[in-house]
Amino acid sequence: MGWGLRSVYALAAVSLIATGARADTIKVGVIGTMSGPYALFGKNYKMGIDAWVAEHGNKVAGHTVEFVYRDEVSPNPAQSKALAQELIVKEKVQYLAGLYFTPNAMAVAPLLQEAKVPMVVMNAATSSITEKSPYIVRTSFTMFQNTVPAAKVAKQKGATKVAIAVSDYGPGIDAETAFKKTFEAEGGKVVEAVRMPLSTTDFGPIMQRIKNSGADMIFTFLPAGPPTLGFVKAYIDNGLKAGGVKLMSTGDVVTEPDLPNIGEAGLGILSTYHYAVSHDSPENKAFLALLQKGGAKLDEVTMTSVAAYDGARLIYKMIEATSGKSDPDKAIAAVKGMKWVSPRGEVSIDPETRHITQNVYLREVEKVDGKLINRELETFKAQPDWGLAKQ
Amino acid sequence: MTPASDTAGPVATAGLRNDLIAAAAIAGLGAIGYFVFPDDLAFLTRVIGLAFLVISLDLVTGYCGVATLGHAALFGVGAYAAGNACLAGVTDPILMLLVGIVAGTATGLISGVLVTRFRGLPQLVLSIAFGQLVAALANKLSSITGGSDGLAGISPGPVFGMFNFDMFGRTGYVFSVAVLLIAMVVLLRFARSPFALMCRAIKDDTLRARMIGVAVYPRLVVMYCVAGAVAGLGGALTAINTGVVGLDSVGFERSAEALIMLILGGAGNLWGALIGAILFELFHHYVSAASPFHWMILIGLLLIVVVLFFPKGLVNEVVRRVGEFRQARGAR
Repeated sequence: MGWGLRSVYALAAVSLIATGARADTIKVGVIGTMSGPYALFGKNYKMGIDAWVAEHGNKVAGHTVEFVYRDEVSPNPAQSKALAQELIVKEKVQYLAGLYFTPNAMAVAPLLQEAKVPMVVMNAATSSITEKSPYIVRTSFTMFQNTVPAAKVAKQKGATKVAIAVSDYGPGIDAETAFKKTFEAEGGKVVEAVRMPLSTTDFGPIMQRIKNSGADMIFTFLPAGPPTLGFVKAYIDNGLKAGGVKLMSTGDVVTEPDLPNIGEAGLGILSTYHYAVSHDSPENKAFLALLQKGGAKLDEVTMTSVAAYDGARLIYKMIEATSGKSDPDKAIAAVKGMKWVSPRGEVSIDPETRHITQNVYLREVEKVDGKLINRELETFKAQPDWGLAKQ
Repeated sequence: MTPASDTAGPVATAGLRNDLIAAAAIAGLGAIGYFVFPDDLAFLTRVIGLAFLVISLDLVTGYCGVATLGHAALFGVGAYAAGNACLAGVTDPILMLLVGIVAGTATGLISGVLVTRFRGLPQLVLSIAFGQLVAALANKLSSITGGSDGLAGISPGPVFGMFNFDMFGRTGYVFSVAVLLIAMVVLLRFARSPFALMCRAIKDDTLRARMIGVAVYPRLVVMYCVAGAVAGLGGALTAINTGVVGLDSVGFERSAEALIMLILGGAGNLWGALIGAILFELFHHYVSAASPFHWMILIGLLLIVVVLFFPKGLVNEVVRRVGEFRQARGAR
């Protein structure tokens, strides 16, 4: 059969094209959720990347950079892998980026080494993703990273008995584990741990269980979207808020586009997260201005736009370091330990885990100028990914 | 009787010739894919995996008239089983396929025993319930399935110890086409067998079938087992090619999508199932690449057009038109 030989030719041809130092167009494949229930987050990838390109132009080291988008829609590893292969083989991208869901990122990871393509993960938040390939860097967050400070705050705020309620899937279980471990190490007690099916819409019974447990604080994680609203409403309607039980969560429960739906009922909810749209810094102001200039609405900004903006920074740095040639080892080496001031605050890439080290903020939902925001109260400086750091 | 079964009926004697034609057709299609779209092999490989699910669905829906919206369970269990086998050290792709077939058959048996007890709406509800049950278990038993993170790290060994799975998807594609070819030839034969013809009879008129002494329930359960084997094979193939098995492989959406593909191509015809899967995915692929933000609208429009103008599916419609054309010529 000739196809063994053919593949050798093709490989040679691809590597020739890839290593040519001409002033080529360098393509970057972005796989994100562009349609369906998570479309907002994919849209934010594009907003963030567009903002970076608007600021720094589309030329790096004499090469034109072009971003090619593909829709991952839902957790569907087979499809995402096929999309990544298409981007690598057909579009000849030199870098991959994006990936909203963990299984999708996991499916792409094994391709990277053979294809010599570095990948910047801009959301998928399971700690172990960066361990799956030495060519993965991540600019988003992990559940552990945001949850460990939440447990510390809970202790500071005087909570002694906490009830945990998380969505029953990977990130939820990560959040539960991280909170429990940290809170118990600080001397607190977890009196109840509920895992709620992702499709739960009636949170009344769960609130009753929490009430019966005698907890003085609830820690919760649900993925951003309609359920978070139901959860917060049930918390208030069942008299827990009035009864003095505090609500603590990761920022996913109170993303800015959701705040208007939660309404005034949400006032006072505490959360820990790596980015608030209201983050008060010149970098963030400039970033938001860029987004708006690109036609984005301020009400639609989420954490994925910042991850994409910073991800684009890494990709530009990698292109610069390799002068546009395909050299993934050199590219990854160039961003290891890289430090900069992001719209979310000071960040760096941990050379060991290739995950972003960043500040995590304690925030409270407040009304400022008639608008609900997550106002930052306290900063936990330079948090690593606790999920990997502890192993 | 449907036009498709007219073509399937009298040709049982010409079995070998039909087998050769089918094999040649799939090999031809496979070669077109390989040489004309060498950059899209990964995509085509994924479509072949899904085609098995649709063919499997056709066996119970198109041939037996069983209404099901939980068929992905059979596919997903096959995929998880093959994935776990690989992680446990069974890395030979062909052995992984066998594991998938066995797991799919077992799931088909359980599902079939439950679902085919009833007809109509209760059947549909039971099938959904079974699908949801498997999906919930897959989420809960994260030590076996990886939960929502997916079962990652599946790296099958080379086919026949010689051909490694490469990033261009060449090995995966050729392997998948070969498996499809063998499976299709076997299944087309099976579809012409007295057993499958009797299933059609049950579908067309259950009461009459019962009156001539057909044991309806056991037959449907056996058919479900065959469908389970086919779906499990597809699941295993997908696990081998993807390296990750996610919750989507047992999800409701996967089941619903398979039904849409089947209706698009034409139920009650194995070619219809295969072509429906290919057409739907091709359309999806090109439209979503051209417009990642708005492709869903176009998919919706396509489905409405197909259901309005080709209610029996594209392949059945083409078969009917060709038949009419021949008749008209014969009459002249």
